[in-house]
Amino acid sequence: MPKVLMKGNEAFGEGAIRAGCRCTFAYPITPQSELTHFLARRLPEIGGVFVQAESEVSAINMVYGAAAAGARVLTSTSSPGISLMQEGLSYIAGARLPCVVVNVMRGGPGLGNIAPAQGDYWQAVKGGGHGDYRLIVLAPASVPEIIALMELAFDLADKYRNPVMVVGDGVLGQMMEPVELESGEIRTAPEKPWATTGQGDRPQRNVINSLHIVPEDNERFNLDQAAVFAEIRRREQRSEEYRTEDAELVLMAFGTVARVAKAAVDRARARGIRAGLIRPITLWPFPDESVRRAAAQAQQFLVVEMNLGQMLEDVRLSVNGKRPVHFYGRPGGTVPTVREILDEVSRIMG
Amino acid sequence: MLTTVGGFFYPNKRVNVFVGPLGSGKTELAINTALVLAEQGLVTLVDLDIINPHYRVRLVKTELAGRDVEVVCPPDELLQADVPALTPAILGVLSRDDQRGVFDVGGDDIGAVVLGSFRPYLPAGQYAIYFVVNTCRPHFTTAADIHRMIDRIERAVRVGVDYLVSNTNIGLETEPATVIEGRRILDVVARERGIPVAFTGVRSGIAETVQELDAGTPVFPLRLFMRPPWEKWG
Repeated sequence: MPKVLMKGNEAFGEGAIRAGCRCTFAYPITPQSELTHFLARRLPEIGGVFVQAESEVSAINMVYGAAAAGARVLTSTSSPGISLMQEGLSYIAGARLPCVVVNVMRGGPGLGNIAPAQGDYWQAVKGGGHGDYRLIVLAPASVPEIIALMELAFDLADKYRNPVMVVGDGVLGQMMEPVELESGEIRTAPEKPWATTGQGDRPQRNVINSLHIVPEDNERFNLDQAAVFAEIRRREQRSEEYRTEDAELVLMAFGTVARVAKAAVDRARARGIRAGLIRPITLWPFPDESVRRAAAQAQQFLVVEMNLGQMLEDVRLSVNGKRPVHFYGRPGGTVPTVREILDEVSRIMG
Repeated sequence: MLTTVGGFFYPNKRVNVFVGPLGSGKTELAINTALVLAEQGLVTLVDLDIINPHYRVRLVKTELAGRDVEVVCPPDELLQADVPALTPAILGVLSRDDQRGVFDVGGDDIGAVVLGSFRPYLPAGQYAIYFVVNTCRPHFTTAADIHRMIDRIERAVRVGVDYLVSNTNIGLETEPATVIEGRRILDVVARERGIPVAFTGVRSGIAETVQELDAGTPVFPLRLFMRPPWEKWG
């Protein structure tokens, strides 16, 4: 197949289509609007449905309905829209429904701005809605990886009956990179005997909700979910390691910043500093195994983010006080430069 | 319409306007055109892109200022605003005969609507509208796709496209064969539509090879400005 030059936001849409998603409900917001624009055009062409909802609250509840009916379903928005969706996300998690939510993050808090940011890490991995639930959170760092992780997102959502969030930012969403689209099969959703598709031959109708009125029943539900979360933690951690074999200083960054950090690692190596990079691909489950392994050898860690230090807490928990963990961040819609990260590396390594 | 410098070709109207599908390379072409024209004196580069929040001419405003290219865009405090801010300076470029301008218009017909609002002020006989195409972009790989978007943009601007620009690429990995393949598709559009392909935009590293392989094709070598943060230093 010849390569095409694709925008990140288009790749989120293309990945969803290749994963067999035929339903998208969304409300446009910068810097992800190309995604909704792309799917609004593409989905009807292939027999799918795109509905521009009247708000993000409405979009996430349409997702709830389609997911309950067994569809592979997507919604996409940017930071303030994700805040609006929190109630729906908690309901979807409480109803054990698979769906995929894209967050192309922008500068916050509040209305903030449309510039690239990573200020929604806590909201994504610690939950922004109420109750004990978890989102599986994936963080691509290139346009081809967006497509691959969107396919994975739908598979994980169905496998664990849990919502999955895929996070990017304006740089990743707007940039263009060559992509080789493998020809071949479009995936389909697995059988979902629990879905509300009409009673049919079933002895009893399927009911989907998140209501457990008796506290002990709800406790049992939560404990069952805890076992699912433990299995996800055990089986689904993903990360990329770059030049970590002999690294004395391990940088940690995800998404866009990881690519800037990677360039800084190369520059540091050219100056004789043994630096490496761990790039979490799953933000939840956090790849603490890789971090623990690295901590056995690396002397220090440097976390770089486009926020005031959010993933930093998970790195510190994984390192568990064994090594110093430093931080460099640019909040509010600013991107750290190669020079800034290299300066920080040089300062730490004296 | 075209000027030759060192064997390569450049657009050279008093007002050069780049329109086309989202992500076809209008911004890179506009910047490069402005830089070439600036070798003969001050040029105004108008950022008319109100739909793309990041990769816009305004990003390189300071860099271009030192090279006789004045960028017209919203004031600094609104550079990153999600509003369609247009300044009065745009009309100045269109109406004053002593000014030379390059217009970078936002993508698709949605982006071109803004240009439509300036249609009464386009200086007759002194401007050209270039429709930029990259056939490696999804959904713009066939002549039929390209015709459809030209129709939509002409309806939005209410003015006809004067020239096609072949800008087929996949970024820094582009091979000459890809460029030539894209040009062939555009030749078909040109024949069917009765408007010429003005030139082929090619990243500077392979411009000479393309010109050799595809003799007779005017080639415009491009230096790329819209680079991601990890390819920059500070």
